[in-house]
Amino acid sequence: MLAYQANPQISSFFAIDVAACAKTGPAPKSLKVDAHMPEHRHGMNYAPKVTALGPGRWRAEGLMLHMPGKWEFVFVVDGERMAHALQLSEGVRFSEPERQRILAHGPWPPSARRDPSNRVSGRPAAIALGERLFFEPRLSGSGSILCASCHVPFRAFQDGRARGFGLEEVERNTPSLFNVGLYRWYGWDGGHDSLWSQSIRPLLDAREMHATSAHVAATVRKHYSTEYESAFGRQPPASDEELLVDAGKALAAYQETLVSGRTPFDRFRDAMERADVEEMKTYPLAAQRGLKIFAGKGNCSVCHFGALFANGEFADVGVPFFVAPGKVDPGRAHGLEVLRKSRFNLLGRYNDDAARSTATGTRHVEPQHRNFGEWRVPSLRNVARTAPYMHNGSLATLRDVVKHYSELNEERLHADGEKILRRLDLSEAESEDLVTFLESLSQEPAARRE
Amino acid sequence: MRTALALCFILWGSLAHGQPLPIFDAHLHYSHDAWESVPVADVIAILRKAGVRRALVSSSGDDGQQRLYAAAPDLVIPELRPYRMRGEIGTWFRDESVIPYLEERLRKYRYAGIGEFHLYGADADLPVPRRMVELARRHKLFLHAHSDADAIERLFRQWPQARILWAHAGFEQPEVVADMLSKHRNLWADLAFRTDHGSSGKVDEAWRGVFLRFPDRFMVGTDTFTPERWHYVPGHAEWSRAWLSSLPHEVAERIAWKNGEALFGSAASQD
Repeated sequence: MLAYQANPQISSFFAIDVAACAKTGPAPKSLKVDAHMPEHRHGMNYAPKVTALGPGRWRAEGLMLHMPGKWEFVFVVDGERMAHALQLSEGVRFSEPERQRILAHGPWPPSARRDPSNRVSGRPAAIALGERLFFEPRLSGSGSILCASCHVPFRAFQDGRARGFGLEEVERNTPSLFNVGLYRWYGWDGGHDSLWSQSIRPLLDAREMHATSAHVAATVRKHYSTEYESAFGRQPPASDEELLVDAGKALAAYQETLVSGRTPFDRFRDAMERADVEEMKTYPLAAQRGLKIFAGKGNCSVCHFGALFANGEFADVGVPFFVAPGKVDPGRAHGLEVLRKSRFNLLGRYNDDAARSTATGTRHVEPQHRNFGEWRVPSLRNVARTAPYMHNGSLATLRDVVKHYSELNEERLHADGEKILRRLDLSEAESEDLVTFLESLSQEPAARRE
Repeated sequence: MRTALALCFILWGSLAHGQPLPIFDAHLHYSHDAWESVPVADVIAILRKAGVRRALVSSSGDDGQQRLYAAAPDLVIPELRPYRMRGEIGTWFRDESVIPYLEERLRKYRYAGIGEFHLYGADADLPVPRRMVELARRHKLFLHAHSDADAIERLFRQWPQARILWAHAGFEQPEVVADMLSKHRNLWADLAFRTDHGSSGKVDEAWRGVFLRFPDRFMVGTDTFTPERWHYVPGHAEWSRAWLSSLPHEVAERIAWKNGEALFGSAASQD
């Protein structure tokens, strides 16, 4: 009798543990192990080395099955030959924890949801007004900058620059607006807790659109009075600030509709859920291997969690944050100050939800020393279309991002900080696989490789 | 109105005796990667602007705090770290070359302590840490240990008269810290990189009891573990003054600066 244990995967070396016993008499003394493909009339390219572990027990190391298909393990025990067939599937094997993490990345798209803090969220007339305002340069103080100047629709609603540039260059990368309706915090530093309050920020920032509440209100009154009345069911109010907030809410209603499409990964994930092996095989093997790293040893899916591939919180992943000699961008530490001081936060009078049901985070968030230099974990949906990367656009390509984590400078992380952040030390092939997986998170048609 | 009242309370506490509470920052590093991005003059300016009266500084390698000390001997108290590079945090305690490095620096310069070093559990009894403790004994130096309680116990077993500054109070719960302070009269703790003892300008109730019971055993510290964090020193000082203001003023003063001054001030004034 013979039993063996192995976990072969295509083109990966593996070991096989074998136990054999005779029907009668003492345990067998010798074992040879080989594997071949009967239909291809060839075997492995490597000769395994067998080591005895005890009476009737051996370990063979150095096996590698270099292509998918029907293989046979061949065991020769004290001269007696035994063959065991196995089908080596083209897919990558995922452990149950990995499978659970992968399934948590969907389904996609999520069902539409309204923002209770915004009374016009989901209202068609407000979405239409928001879209008009999004492309309206007269909202800016100079009359020359529109939201879409930085959030360019054909660039996945970002600008392709390392750092944003409205009227002047700012310190941070312009994030994509895809799926912003699903966020908890807004801005790289989370200085805002709703999409509508975040939408007000660049209007008033001197380096971006450099408007005032009076200017925005006057523009809406003069050019969008009818559309405003359709969206809000009343005439524009006399208060400039109130009208500024409503402009932010219309802009938010429009941006909530910017949901990214389904991706090759989504098809794989759904096939995995319904155990559709044939459909799973259509997902490139390299992407599957990259996904295994992402959900497995890379621990990427701990922070890039769920259907959005983002846990909605903040992290220090060792990216330097000097912006000029003697000047730093403090990230989340500054964002919390902004949030608490803002008249437009969810604890304020402009929240349309009397129950404050989405204000829990704002009410309970507590500054921590680690916030200094933390940045919001970005969503990875459409990530191949949103280069450059990180809060300051300091990494040009996805390969650079993978290299950053593979060669993570642990000296920049506190000894008692996030324990999962450790050098991944990925091989070149593994890095390529991870990049291929990340590219598969872009809505079809697939993004081009750089 | 509530916010305004709270702010007034904090300011009153910070300025109760006319001036912002001085700070003895007991946990600073000026390591090799900071020397260019935050020059010595900037560091000194940051410390003075933050109202830091004295600073216990260590660096990887040791040249960092020597440069600071040369520029501001009234402000900087050097500690000797057993790391030449920050990357040695997880390897130094098995690295025999650490001891000659420490010996060479001790021959050349004067220090208040050896640390901050990272050492956990049974690693404290390895030969290199034992020899480091022996050097501290010979030179009458503090040990600044980023350690769990087990390693602290082992260090005291090696040298019962050791004086140990427990970095981050071991990230332990207040009751564990209280037990350790009760057990070891020569143990002090810095509160660097932890926020559980003070939030929103108020001391945590469990910690309040420990601070009142051991008012002469705690210090504050920023922990500048990356160059950028030097720019957090003023913010950390303000944050510390805020939660300290909810303690009795005498206790707040001790934790803010008097404890550090009493333990390490003489090391600064010797030159």
